[in-house]
Amino acid sequence: MSTQTTPDATDAASRNDDVLLSVEDLVVQFDTDGGTVHAVDGVSFDVREGETLCIVGESGSGKTISCEAITRLFRSPPGFIRGGSVEFDGTDLTSCSDDRLKEYRGNRIAHVFQNPQGALNPVYTIGNQVREAVELHTDLEGSAIRDRVVDLLGEVGIPEPVTHLGDYPHELSGGMKQRVVIAMALAGEPDLLIADEPTTALDVTIQKQILDLLNDVQERHDMSVIFVTHDLGVVAQIADRVLVMYAGKVMERDDVFDLFESPEHPYTAALLDCLPGSGGLEGIPGDLPDPFNPPAGCRFAERCPAVTEECIEGDQPPEYPVGSDDHTVSCVHHAPDGDPGELDGVTGAIGGDES
Amino acid sequence: MQQPQWWWCAVKKWGYLVSRLLWAGVATWVILTITFVLMEFTPNAQYAQLQFSAAQSGGDPEQALETAKRLRGDTGTLWAQYTEFLSNIVSGNWGWSTYRSQPVTEALATAIPWSMMYGVPSLIISTVLGMTIGLYSALNQYSREDYAATLFAFMGISIPNFWFAIILLVFFGTVLNWVPILFDTGVAQNAAGNLTLGGVFSLANLRQLILPVVVLTTGSIASLMRYSRAEALEYVEADFVKTARAKGVSDRMIVLKHILRPASIPLATLLVGDLLGIIFVGSYLVEVVFGIPGLGTLSYNAIINQDTALVFGTIFVPTFIAIVGNLAQDLSYAYLDPRISFGDDE
Repeated sequence: MSTQTTPDATDAASRNDDVLLSVEDLVVQFDTDGGTVHAVDGVSFDVREGETLCIVGESGSGKTISCEAITRLFRSPPGFIRGGSVEFDGTDLTSCSDDRLKEYRGNRIAHVFQNPQGALNPVYTIGNQVREAVELHTDLEGSAIRDRVVDLLGEVGIPEPVTHLGDYPHELSGGMKQRVVIAMALAGEPDLLIADEPTTALDVTIQKQILDLLNDVQERHDMSVIFVTHDLGVVAQIADRVLVMYAGKVMERDDVFDLFESPEHPYTAALLDCLPGSGGLEGIPGDLPDPFNPPAGCRFAERCPAVTEECIEGDQPPEYPVGSDDHTVSCVHHAPDGDPGELDGVTGAIGGDES
Repeated sequence: MQQPQWWWCAVKKWGYLVSRLLWAGVATWVILTITFVLMEFTPNAQYAQLQFSAAQSGGDPEQALETAKRLRGDTGTLWAQYTEFLSNIVSGNWGWSTYRSQPVTEALATAIPWSMMYGVPSLIISTVLGMTIGLYSALNQYSREDYAATLFAFMGISIPNFWFAIILLVFFGTVLNWVPILFDTGVAQNAAGNLTLGGVFSLANLRQLILPVVVLTTGSIASLMRYSRAEALEYVEADFVKTARAKGVSDRMIVLKHILRPASIPLATLLVGDLLGIIFVGSYLVEVVFGIPGLGTLSYNAIINQDTALVFGTIFVPTFIAIVGNLAQDLSYAYLDPRISFGDDE
């Protein structure tokens, strides 16, 4: 367990004032015929200027919905924000009308989605689709628009962009499509780029290229990035800070180095244990809890090796600070009156054996 | 990412168009041949009548048949008759209607305008309204309006046209007396019995066409509504619509540009193919009930009177419309869908 303050942590702490996006206690629910899905259940996180926040967790943990809630991209109905706030650069986006939100979508907050195969409209050329974004978010006119489109496509690494303006999406590979989507996202010079598993659908060599590209454009445009993934290998490469989600709740948050070195939540430890080279490849036994009817106590209790009586009562435990300012864990064993010793052999295993 | 030359694309596109045209020709030929074979096997009512009366008056039925056949040019080998039949059809000589005592083509030419008078407005109304309501339903899925549209659609599909027509006639014609019960062809014609533009668009004529249009529209609008709702729903949930939303595109433009446009590809199929079928099948009953002297009534009477040449004539018209419609649909694909492969290599 690292208790001393690392240089990174002090650096991060000093940037606390530069919070660009602040999500507080966000609750998102979907009303379906089968009942209400508690997709996101009281999630808070900050994104500071210029940093990369990774949100990790299994499928169904609420990562994507948390991100889509920022500019309300999910369909409503059935999806509703039932609580909390999303403060972006001083404005609460949850109270904005759809018209107001349009000033943020694509302009200040841009999205890149998981599946590049479906992310582009099949009946329009890529030139047309990038152009649409440029027209929406700049005052350019006439041939200047076209020049900007060509520049954007060039910036994301489309070779000889002029010759590809007339290409239809089906004529491009998955990696190229994702580059086009990134070009559209950059059209409005956004302050925040939300990348929702942008490399998951691509093969490994292309994944690396797209990650490098995202890193490049982040530096060049000085953007903040929220990167959603379930791939901890990717997290290690790009994240500044990490938010671990499970079943609509935050389990743990920390600086990326500390998190990998000393995960304190049994769920984080289990996730890290699934990394190739960490010993176990058996995965985490059990399934996500029922999203219609989340259990009492800690959401992860059912699958947790360190579960006690206390874990299955009341609400999800509060996020207790551990060590550095940035590090919090939602686990009863880290409560002021708890005994972190209960987690011996559960969380220590990875950090201990590896180093 | 290898881009073929533009002229090669053009060659392939034209090649595609030509191949579709040729296929339309082949389909026509197949239909004509089947028709010819069927006609060969169909007992000729008039010959039977002639033979019967010859036998009654003590003559030789076989000889009477020979004479009749020679008189009508119905001789020669099967092959000679087949080629003559084909050349007649192509040159517009579709035979003589005994029941109407006029060439089949002339009978058709008189009937078709009457069918178009209610068929065309119904086609336009059901297309525009059906697609609009379907789209609205998709965008407001499970809203009260969506449920109302669904209910309306199922009623339209379930209620038989002829029954609905009778009910409407009773209510609006007899009880309310808003529309005439008897269809009067005179209001659209001049003294010589020819249709005039002023007559066709005269108030009296439009008034008697309202109910047929309503009946035919409720029947065909329903399936269009359901299809366009289903198609649009598929695209409402599509990833690229979410991309467009994230890009900041307005809701209106999302519907028009990102949903309607891609949805128009499958809808084009429905429009041309199914709709023509619905209209022409529906029109038999509608015309008979309302007494409109259109293609449906003509076909019905031709069948009742065993007027073989006229029966085939009235069947040819919708068949050819279907072939042309399918051709138009194939050609529209080439324009609407950039993903279509024009035949060979891809």
